Amino acid sequence: MNTNLLVVITASAVFYGTPLFFAALGGVFTERSGVLNLGVEGTMLIGAVTGAWASQHVGGSAWFTVLISILMGMAAGALTSLLHAFLCITLRTNQTVAGLAITIAAGGVGLSSYFANIWEVAANPVDRPIRKLDVLGLGDMPVLGPIVFNQTILTYVSWVMVAVASWYLFRTKIGLQLRAVGESPQTADAMGINVVKYRYLHTVLGGSLAGLGGVFYSLAIVPLWVDGMTKGAGWIAIALVIFGFWRPGLTLVGAYLFGALQSLGTALKARNVNISGDVLDALPFFMTIVVLVLISSRFAHRRLGAPASLGVPYEREER
Amino acid sequence: MQSAVRMTGIVKRFPGVVANDGVDLDVRPGEVHALLGENGAGKSTLSNILTGLYRPDEGTVEVNGDEVHFSSPKDALHAGIGMVHQHFRLVETFTVAENVVLGEDDAPFLMNQQAVAARVKEISDRYGLAVDPSARIWQLSVGEQQRVEIIKTLYRGARILILDEPTAVLTPNEADVLFNTLRAMVTEGRTVIFISHKLDEVMKVSDRVTVLRGGRTVGTVDTANTSTRELASMMVGRSVEFSRVTRVNRADTSSTVLELTDVTATDDRGRVAVQSVSLTVGRGEIVGVAGVAGNGQRELAEVIAGMRGFNAGSISVAGRMLQSGRARVAIDSGIAHIPEDRLHTGLASSHSVEDNMALKNYRSRELSPFRMLRRKAIRDQASDLVDRYDVKTPNTSTPVRLLSGGNVQKVLLAREFSAMPKVLVAASPTRGLDVGAIETVRDRLVDAAEGGVGILLISEDLDEIMSLADRILVIYEGRIVDDLSADGADRQRIGLTMGGATQEVAQ
Amino acid sequence: MRTPVRLERRLEQPRWLNWAIPVISLVTALVLGAIVLWLTGKNPLEVYDRILERGFLGKRPLQGTLITATPFAFTGLCAAVAFRMGVINIGGEGQFYVGAIGAAWVGIAMTGQPVGVAVVAMVVMGMLFGAAYGSIVGVLKARFNTNEIITSLMLNYIAGILLNYLIFNSRSYWRDPRSMGFPSGKSIAERNEWTDYVIGGVKIPLGFLIAVIAAGAIWVLYKRTRFGFEVGVIADSPRAARYAGIRTRSTIVLVMALSGALAGLGGASDVGDFRHILDAKGLQLGGFGYTGIVVAALARFNPFSTLLVAFLLGGLTNAGYALQGPDFPSGLVGTIQGLILFTAVAGEILVRYRIRPNRRRAQAVAS
Repeated sequence: MNTNLLVVITASAVFYGTPLFFAALGGVFTERSGVLNLGVEGTMLIGAVTGAWASQHVGGSAWFTVLISILMGMAAGALTSLLHAFLCITLRTNQTVAGLAITIAAGGVGLSSYFANIWEVAANPVDRPIRKLDVLGLGDMPVLGPIVFNQTILTYVSWVMVAVASWYLFRTKIGLQLRAVGESPQTADAMGINVVKYRYLHTVLGGSLAGLGGVFYSLAIVPLWVDGMTKGAGWIAIALVIFGFWRPGLTLVGAYLFGALQSLGTALKARNVNISGDVLDALPFFMTIVVLVLISSRFAHRRLGAPASLGVPYEREER
Repeated sequence: MQSAVRMTGIVKRFPGVVANDGVDLDVRPGEVHALLGENGAGKSTLSNILTGLYRPDEGTVEVNGDEVHFSSPKDALHAGIGMVHQHFRLVETFTVAENVVLGEDDAPFLMNQQAVAARVKEISDRYGLAVDPSARIWQLSVGEQQRVEIIKTLYRGARILILDEPTAVLTPNEADVLFNTLRAMVTEGRTVIFISHKLDEVMKVSDRVTVLRGGRTVGTVDTANTSTRELASMMVGRSVEFSRVTRVNRADTSSTVLELTDVTATDDRGRVAVQSVSLTVGRGEIVGVAGVAGNGQRELAEVIAGMRGFNAGSISVAGRMLQSGRARVAIDSGIAHIPEDRLHTGLASSHSVEDNMALKNYRSRELSPFRMLRRKAIRDQASDLVDRYDVKTPNTSTPVRLLSGGNVQKVLLAREFSAMPKVLVAASPTRGLDVGAIETVRDRLVDAAEGGVGILLISEDLDEIMSLADRILVIYEGRIVDDLSADGADRQRIGLTMGGATQEVAQ
Repeated sequence: MRTPVRLERRLEQPRWLNWAIPVISLVTALVLGAIVLWLTGKNPLEVYDRILERGFLGKRPLQGTLITATPFAFTGLCAAVAFRMGVINIGGEGQFYVGAIGAAWVGIAMTGQPVGVAVVAMVVMGMLFGAAYGSIVGVLKARFNTNEIITSLMLNYIAGILLNYLIFNSRSYWRDPRSMGFPSGKSIAERNEWTDYVIGGVKIPLGFLIAVIAAGAIWVLYKRTRFGFEVGVIADSPRAARYAGIRTRSTIVLVMALSGALAGLGGASDVGDFRHILDAKGLQLGGFGYTGIVVAALARFNPFSTLLVAFLLGGLTNAGYALQGPDFPSGLVGTIQGLILFTAVAGEILVRYRIRPNRRRAQAVAS
């Protein structure tokens, strides 16, 4: 392998890893509050179709259209996860089934496809996509150019976000309280923290980030609406949350690793390097299983911080 | 004088139970006020109302003369009420300092660990509550964790402290240290509400006592003008006397039914919890294992019952060697086990009474020939046992979680005794039961011993061990540190060895 | 936060709830679906009428419905047996693929054997492959205590990639060497195709009959055997199970193997009954595994109700296929299915809780 290939792969790893990161960061917030959301895939698709619709229908300058599309995609994702929050937190239903229900109802053959049909999103191209920028004219710079200076605005947003998220989770009072809610809601409640509020807010925040990831697919990667276009990115995001040990920084690293694996096959094939793309496609899933086995002991949980009450509904007056 | 806390006519209902049924409580400022009652008398519910965790269905709460309506624990904290729960409310993966600031409104948005640590240090020095602010909770002992809980309430400036059964996890000596801390706080003008069902410590630490029974207030008395006997009869509604149970047949210790040799085992975290324990139980002998909670008792019981593997040593029942961690082998060898956690370990609580009666012998040919269940045989067995052990249940298909604590324990005893065991391992068999049920359980244990069953009685209740056991072992940090005959055993010596003092010092 | 109603835990769960909840859920879902349709400019009654007509009324719709219902029945049973032990196997999807791979293998390979032998071999291989794949999840959970939700999910994707590899990206035994432009699977021997059974003039796929037998067998296994008793205790409290001397770890592996075998059987039926090839694309488009969880949840994990719900959802899906067109967009059926699931999930709360007006609390709240 030469450096050129490495640069191409790294650049596309960052590009393809960005939506994975958004969805996974959303998962970090959601799961840190103790809620497991398996509806990420469906939420991303709802975000993607809403973003695509907005970009076709909102006028004004190109930047304005893109901004509104992003915000609408996020809002749609937030609404979808609000449903999950209502089912899991208020109605205390089984979180696995509720999340799957969202993915089935909203997914490739569900609501997102229905919306695409009735809004006629698929029929038209997305002509105001999110484009890669040439930051400070440095996009042609060797090595760093394609990786650092020739990405979409959302990639730069994600870099800011990873810092803000880490700071929020581990340095602020609210982050401490959020982690307490996910670890031990009984304790948090006894200390006067509103468990329900924290769970709702962070589930919805997680959903809006999943929606953002979806918008990246329909406006930056493809840019066109195709039914089920996220092709399992939502599930990869769920794996990534574990892979990144529920930490924003490690999640970003994991997202780029998984992104690299996604692009590696195509890049290698183009250069006649004979590695089966299927093996590379399967690697993220294999690696997640391995990581899961490694962190499953109680001992590891204490050190690595899987939220102890993940997936467990909280009920105060239980006797 | 104005009351620190006045609760009037408190009613709190839960589905199927009335936990508080018109409770009155009046606490003066600057006193240690004990709230005495049996398990299920409504003490915890009352304190949960006072700390805003539950809302009363009826009644009023006044703090320092003002009527209050707490809708969350936060409101109670604002009113200066802090609570130390029996089950600690601590986040295990957080540090002491993080736990202390958790949920505090005035804490700065950005955390400042050093500043918090300094304040924690100041409080712990002032009241003798030694603890390292940067340690993580799961690394601390239970006693240290309790100190963190107390520091938490003081850090928030609580003027009224509620402690729910605080001595259950402490050695007698640690309990004395706690009492000193409480007195120091009262001297400073704080008010302490001390919840307990132990008469002796109530007499020792409190200024006044309010007794609850069956969700109602029985009365409030000055500690100086009352006696253990009076409090006991207020608590249970009749006069009771626990004395040493007299045994008709003495144990035949010549034939050993249970023998452990240098058994070592680890707890769930992989730390050594049982350390080269050797012990024997003779036929018809009751051997008590005394110790403070968390010194390896649970693990010891589980190792013998085959629920937990052991790393070294050997266990034999009537000469037959047991395999490590094979509950089925232990059951088939004649070991019966009454676990500490009855509803979730000893019983499948959502299952019916009849299924639970068959929980250990469903594999028998009578109940499941050719691996197919005979429901009728299972039902017949259950009705028979329900009659013989006087279990109060609507019918045999009622889920056991709907039964009262005493009847739950009866279901367990019925099943375990009917298996004709050689050895019975009983862990805290009377904890959480009311007086009547306690007597039944104790009688059954003594009957079984007289029938030849060797009993290993593991309990944190020293009185229970003193009154039932023929021989007493003391466990400390997973080791058997003392072995003495129950006749003329010295309470003080046991108390000291339970706390880790060596025997020489104790003597 | 003050709410107008509050939830109170039920001490006992009355029996009538077992049928009342699904019925209420279904009706609510149809009402919500009607609202969605109405909002998007369709006449709900007309749509429902057409669904009923194309999905359930008459021999041809019924035959089509049974075909779509068969895979749902198997994946539904797969989810039900695992959920009943508290193991959340969402790997039915992957186990279904792997079962299809196993069945297709023998279906292609056995050309000279008597028909009965070949069909039995396909059934057995489908079950074995599915069981082996399901056991991976079971072993990881029993041995390392890994979260089965995530591992089974990951294995679904790995199985999907395996399918793509076998048909599109390799010259495997399963790929038809003559298909050059668009790769497809090799047909099984014609004589090995499963035959339908005609009852009352309606052709019933062999697979559906096997599903009925499987449901009966599961019911007996869980209600009437030692093994079923042990599974029930583990579901209630794993600690109590260990206390009672039940081998929890091997039971978890066995249940996961059984669960996988049922999904694998579905895969075998997919090859034997319907497609007669290993159809990599078609299998993955179906999403049978995930729908199976919906089916099982709606059926409250009862094997017989699972068959019934599979039939209902099968009819809905079948009608969706038949009606798909400009005025009946794709995605509509998925949406209605999703709504049914939501209401079923939400309806579950009525089983566990009683809803009470919040009178007292309102007056006690701090002003």
